[in-house]
Amino acid sequence: QGTIKWRMQTYAGPALAEHVIKPAIDSFNKIAGDRMQIELFFADQLVPTGELFRAMQNGTIDAVQSDDDSMASPTEVTVFGGYFPFASRYSLDVPVLFNQYGLNEIWDQEYSAVGVKHISAGAWDPCHFATKDPINSLEDLKGKRVFTFPTAGRFLTQFGVVPVTLPWEDIEVAVQTGELDGIAWSGITEDYTVGWADVTNYFLTNNISGAWAGSFFANMESYNALPDDLKELLKVCMDQSHYYRQWWYWGGEANLRVNGTKMELTSIPDAEWQQVEDAALKFWDEIAAESETKAKVVEIFKQYNADMVKAGRPYRYG
Amino acid sequence: MSYELIAILMFASMMLMLMTGQRVFGAIGGVAALAAILLWDPGGSNIPFSAAMKLMKWYPLLTLPMFIFMGYVLSESKIADDLYRMFHVWMGPVSGGLAIGTIGLMVLVSAMNGLSVAGMAIGATIALPELLRRGYDKRMVTGVIQAGSSLGILVPPSVVLVLYAMIARQPVGQLWLAGILPGLMMAAAFILYIYLRCKANPALGPVLPAAERTVPLAEKLRLLRAGLLPIVIFAAMMVPFVNGWTSLVESSAIGALTAFMAAVLKGRMNREVFEVSVRQTLAISCMFMWIILAALGFGAVFDGLGAVKAIDQLFTEQLGLNPWMILILMQLSFLLMGTFLDDTAMLVIVAPLYVPLVAALGFDLIWYGVLYTITTQIAYMTPPFGYNLFLMRAMAPPEITLKDIYGSILPFVIVMIGCLALIMTFPQIALWLPDYVYGK
Amino acid sequence: MRRIASVYVRWVDAVNYRIGRVMMYGMFVMMGILLWSSISKTFFLPTLWTLEMAQFAMVAYYITGGPYAMQLGANVRMDLFYHDWSVRKKAWFDAFTVLLLIFYLGVLLYGALGSTAYSLGYWGQEPLSFFAGLLVGAEEVGRLERSSTAWRPYIWPIKAVMIAGFFLMLLQAISELIKDIATIGEVDLNVV
Ligand code: NA
Ligand code: NA
Repeated sequence: QGTIKWRMQTYAGPALAEHVIKPAIDSFNKIAGDRMQIELFFADQLVPTGELFRAMQNGTIDAVQSDDDSMASPTEVTVFGGYFPFASRYSLDVPVLFNQYGLNEIWDQEYSAVGVKHISAGAWDPCHFATKDPINSLEDLKGKRVFTFPTAGRFLTQFGVVPVTLPWEDIEVAVQTGELDGIAWSGITEDYTVGWADVTNYFLTNNISGAWAGSFFANMESYNALPDDLKELLKVCMDQSHYYRQWWYWGGEANLRVNGTKMELTSIPDAEWQQVEDAALKFWDEIAAESETKAKVVEIFKQYNADMVKAGRPYRYG
Repeated sequence: MSYELIAILMFASMMLMLMTGQRVFGAIGGVAALAAILLWDPGGSNIPFSAAMKLMKWYPLLTLPMFIFMGYVLSESKIADDLYRMFHVWMGPVSGGLAIGTIGLMVLVSAMNGLSVAGMAIGATIALPELLRRGYDKRMVTGVIQAGSSLGILVPPSVVLVLYAMIARQPVGQLWLAGILPGLMMAAAFILYIYLRCKANPALGPVLPAAERTVPLAEKLRLLRAGLLPIVIFAAMMVPFVNGWTSLVESSAIGALTAFMAAVLKGRMNREVFEVSVRQTLAISCMFMWIILAALGFGAVFDGLGAVKAIDQLFTEQLGLNPWMILILMQLSFLLMGTFLDDTAMLVIVAPLYVPLVAALGFDLIWYGVLYTITTQIAYMTPPFGYNLFLMRAMAPPEITLKDIYGSILPFVIVMIGCLALIMTFPQIALWLPDYVYGK
Repeated sequence: MRRIASVYVRWVDAVNYRIGRVMMYGMFVMMGILLWSSISKTFFLPTLWTLEMAQFAMVAYYITGGPYAMQLGANVRMDLFYHDWSVRKKAWFDAFTVLLLIFYLGVLLYGALGSTAYSLGYWGQEPLSFFAGLLVGAEEVGRLERSSTAWRPYIWPIKAVMIAGFFLMLLQAISELIKDIATIGEVDLNVV
């Protein structure tokens, strides 16, 4: 029997993928050796991100790393992947929500229904604004053309933000050519890693979500065809990838705020920012009203956050 | 099947299909579709279509129809006639002056359109007959027009640099600025060559007869006003863009509108001009877009089947060369492929293979964009196959034979290679202006 | 046979000609959208929809305008040898190589059908039977795909336009094939 070959496409470009996916795939390939090799392709390399999900359903590609929102998955949970406004505070919130609060089961059910295997979910950085002009108040957000996640974009329009969606790899250039005024896509680690810090000047310390939630997916048939030990190896390597990102981002965010020289930090005063956090809760209820599954996920978010507040420090301060 | 074998098979069958003379997009797309279905299982059949969705998201492509329309409005409405007369009157008294003036005309035309086609059309319809009538050497003037029109894609706006920018993911604004000085330097080198040749042998470019030279000064000054037009069009487009007031695609629409308005205000926008401009814009845009569609599909299949790895390994590992040798080898391969491939196909198929390599070797991608553009321009001018050669053949009057056309370009190609070498040795010729404007 | 061929060529060429004549003004639609984008950005708030709308217009422009461009002979060929061949020799080569083009257009069309079925909420692998089912009422439209932008337009209309365009392009390529065969057989199709 020959080597099993998988094509995997991530939504990250090469610079970012160097940290968030490549180490895990390299480990997998090293261990699996002649039995199986995963070839990694970057953002939009084989298929455009908009066609990613369908390509995986069809077996054009075998596996995908993305958040549900960016790849526009045709499920009820799409809006929660990526940065659901204020759903999390820390990157550890995401694995806890999935492993201990029942999101894994919901995701598994949703994706099985559309012929896709949800392997595992992980977290990374918070979502901040990186802009050419400084943001010091909500007023400054008005009319800013910003590259952001679809759902986050929907939420932000009420503050006058104009969300723009472009291929991930075109963002840096789009900021330079005037298509964009800024980016609300990541934390400061990613801004520096992928080069956005070179084209923007300011970093807003207020975030619209504490941690990105994204997953590894596979074509159901490709996945089922794997022997059990390779399935296990796949899972272990994905978990290793989640772990790498936990420390890489957590340390990176703090380090670049303190030692970074390319971006100046600005803040919107807490009292004013409270308006955004309040609006998020209203937005949650609007989403919950859309379907039963969405209501269930929102309920879990509320329960989790209530528990964390009750647990007190260091889980939540105030 | 090994990666090398796939790479060779796909490339060879594409070349073979191209040789049969079938439409370029059909040859490229067909080979891609066939390879996807035979070698990529399952689901490979979706790749050619998903390229169409990729193309839709490549927003800078919106500039293509705009710049093409601009070029046709300029050449069809003949608003460049006044420009030509301006150079004619001012440069006539110099030996070879009309040829020098034609290069000047080409520089200004370049600043108003994004392709080399418009420059070629304007040169062949306005300048060429005049030059021949004045007893200029036909080989020289054919070369002047071909070489001059190649400035069209080096001086902004430039469609080729837009396409390159998308492939290399580099800012168009910086690439455009990087093209300006090399473009002007090349124009200056052409002028110098013409001047020296005509000085040595005045029969190549006779001075205008005295009767024609005596134009009243007032008239001469009046003609200078024609030079305002390109400046206005160029500024209307570039000033808001470079300042960030409008985006690239918005600026291209402003440029197209400005050119259109200029033709209307000059009373040159009649029914026929309008018809030809709009129709040709569709024709040329479709030609570009369908080739890009096919080539994107080809690229994705080529990449997904692992053939890109084979090319990378060939250059970086197997040949064991230093970065500069690899770079020069790539440039030479462009020249070679220019004899087979159409310009868009070359850009969309070959550039994506080379650009990551160039970056990995540590070269500046803005600088390389300029090198790339000049190299491909040389490729399109060198026999036997070349886009510019064909255009010239189609547009030139019957007394200019294919042999004349082939013979005419040699000295200009040598001048261009000289300029290329200069820019390779002194990258600042290209990089100084973008660094200065964007304050790196 | 000859009559059928002649009617086919006349009809296909005529329909594609008319569609192309309309689509060529699509350039002004794109220009208008982009100009409105600059105006609204400078004087009011930037708009959500302009860039994406312009992209849709561009796709409609080049895909449905494609057949007319083919009629105009706009598609470049690598005519290193082709240029010097006789009309008949060209037709001989084209009659074979155009089959690859037809194949390519067929693959594009099939891909467009599959992608459109997906955008109408069909997850299976048989887009043709899905569309047939839609017509007879055996299948239903499911979850409609929306663009992952804040404007969130439905995607199926532009994909439907692409289906139409690829189909027309396919018809045009077949028309070219018939014309080549006619040239080889020195048959007059009575098409002007
Ligand atoms: Na130009
Ligand atoms: Na050539």
